[in-house]
Amino acid sequence: MTNPKPKFAPRWSRREMLARMARVTGLAALPATATALYGCGSRPAPVRVGILHSQTGTMAISEISLRDAELLAIEEINAGGGILGRQLEPIVEDGRSRFDDVFPAKAAKLLVEDKVAVVFGCWTSASRKAVLPVFEKHNGLLFYPLQYEGNESSRNIVYTGASPNQQILPAVDWLLSTAGGNRNRFFLIGSDYVFPRTANFIIGKYLKSKGRAAVVGERYTPLGHRDYKGIVQEIVNAKPDVIFSTINGDSNLAFYDELAAQGVTADRLPVVATSVGEDELRGLLPDRVTGHLAAWTYFQSLDTPANREFVARFRREHGPDRVLDDPIEAAYAQVYVWKLAVEKAGSFEVDRVRDAFRAGIEFDAPGGRVRIDPKTQHAFKRFRMGKIRADRQFDIIYESPEWIEPAPYPQVAFPGWRCDWTQGGVTQGPEVQIGQGY
Amino acid sequence: MFYWIYDISTVWLAVLMAVVFVGFSWLGCLFVRPVLHKRVTFERDKNEILGAILSCFGVFYGLLLGLIAVGVWENFSEVEDTTHKEAAAIDALYHDVSVYPEPYGQNLRWLLRDYCRYEIKYGWPAQRNGIIPEGGSTRVRSFQERLLTFQPRNTTEQVVHAETLREFNVFLEHRRHRLNATRTGIPAVMWYVVVIGAVINIGMLWLFDMRLLSHLFLGGLLAFFLSMMILLIAALDNPFRGEFSVTFEALEDVHRIMMQQ
Repeated sequence: MTNPKPKFAPRWSRREMLARMARVTGLAALPATATALYGCGSRPAPVRVGILHSQTGTMAISEISLRDAELLAIEEINAGGGILGRQLEPIVEDGRSRFDDVFPAKAAKLLVEDKVAVVFGCWTSASRKAVLPVFEKHNGLLFYPLQYEGNESSRNIVYTGASPNQQILPAVDWLLSTAGGNRNRFFLIGSDYVFPRTANFIIGKYLKSKGRAAVVGERYTPLGHRDYKGIVQEIVNAKPDVIFSTINGDSNLAFYDELAAQGVTADRLPVVATSVGEDELRGLLPDRVTGHLAAWTYFQSLDTPANREFVARFRREHGPDRVLDDPIEAAYAQVYVWKLAVEKAGSFEVDRVRDAFRAGIEFDAPGGRVRIDPKTQHAFKRFRMGKIRADRQFDIIYESPEWIEPAPYPQVAFPGWRCDWTQGGVTQGPEVQIGQGY
Repeated sequence: MFYWIYDISTVWLAVLMAVVFVGFSWLGCLFVRPVLHKRVTFERDKNEILGAILSCFGVFYGLLLGLIAVGVWENFSEVEDTTHKEAAAIDALYHDVSVYPEPYGQNLRWLLRDYCRYEIKYGWPAQRNGIIPEGGSTRVRSFQERLLTFQPRNTTEQVVHAETLREFNVFLEHRRHRLNATRTGIPAVMWYVVVIGAVINIGMLWLFDMRLLSHLFLGGLLAFFLSMMILLIAALDNPFRGEFSVTFEALEDVHRIMMQQ
């Protein structure tokens, strides 16, 4: 006789129940586990890249736009899948326009603490010279986007701006020519730091070598200087044919204001600036600057499809009233130059990336094709002279027929000095003394 | 502490919490309940006494959960309100600086746009991970420096400048409140009380004397309800984290309008 089935007997035994629960739980947890595993394993860690510009202080007006251009390039690269399958993570530091203490400290932080693969940064030569020993000590790689005074070469820096023979000397040649007005009397004015001092030293030597032209005055003011009354008076009294200006930052506002106040107009006495681009013109009143000149290798008004597209892209991201200029274009392009070098090297390691430059890296930048010279790690550039328009843009009134090979040591100023990283590095000539210990 | 829960979508988090709570309840029913029945005995009607204790406990625990839920919701709303106020202050500032003479007006406008872009693209995602990036503060300093270089030349400019400085301070205040809220959350000790309370609640059910299937059903139901209450608190806690978090839509709207002007 079998036992009668209990009234409330469970359908499943405890063992069956346990097995069923385990199955249900396992099924429920499966998607979450798969998602978690997928999330952990599919994406390699991003590569950190440093950006080091002054975002506050007197140089902020110029340097902020370089940061924006570099970030734009990084965002584009990330949107396109990154480099070697890895996304880029920008670490942005503020140099605070303090070249001697903050810039080197921030560079060391980027290289040692953040362990960035590369740094895009600096504007003034003072900041570049301050961070150079840091990059050499920690074997970092700095991409420097500004035109500069030359007289320097480092294996740890890639110079993507113009060297003196691509900006300053072609500008002087043009001014001496008939097209430039056969100007012989130069007044040199600049901010008091290494770039203006060295640039003017080179100009002085160059004019002397030409024989027929002369420097009739030379003055320097501290960065951020605002009182130009006495200096403009001095310029007027010296009766120059042209003012060659290497004033940097927001001092330009006061300088051009004072020129206008004392009746110095572009048709009578033009200023040729090497540090006033479209971005700086935003801060200057058009009636004070229209007709004056600027020497660069890129202008926003450059009428090519690639440049029009670049301008549109930048404005789409940063606003319709934003402008582009030579350093901004170089800052943007240099990120892509580094990308190409990394891809050629197949690695983010500094030594291997640097070696990749020996193969010759070329990139179609908005301003034209850029090539990094394996000998000097400087960029081949095309010289352009622009005349300021009332809409704060430039008319390109002269363009060199070909790109110019970079020469960081113009022989007229630094005889015997040469750089060739493919054959041992820098060949030193006789020591050259530039004023104020530069 | 348990910030990883905010990396999971709310639906999956709900499933996970329900599985953990109901699973805990069921495992207890299957393995702990038989032991408790043998060891814990009552002189009078067991279920009646347990029911009375559970009701009493439930009132206190329910009150606690309810108050915490209201608290986190209020905090969430407050933080959301702060982000809206910050966006409104930026909008007002943008209009104020638009009447500045050039080049100041243009410079200040694009510095504000730059701030918004940064917060939307970089600052916000970092804040969702509990990080306060420096970039926003740097951009604010940059704007402030530029603003302070402006020298009003007439009474109208003086009035506009004074109003802009006032609005700038309002913006700073809201921004600071938002940043302070980055790591706000209910304290760890409160989470311990909530979790221990839930465990006691479920554990007391194991003492009831009833059929296994009914026990599993009722225990599972209570555990599921508790898991949903705790999910609600967890989702609203840390207002910047997780799928259900304070958004930056107000700032995005302001930025979009700025870019179109």
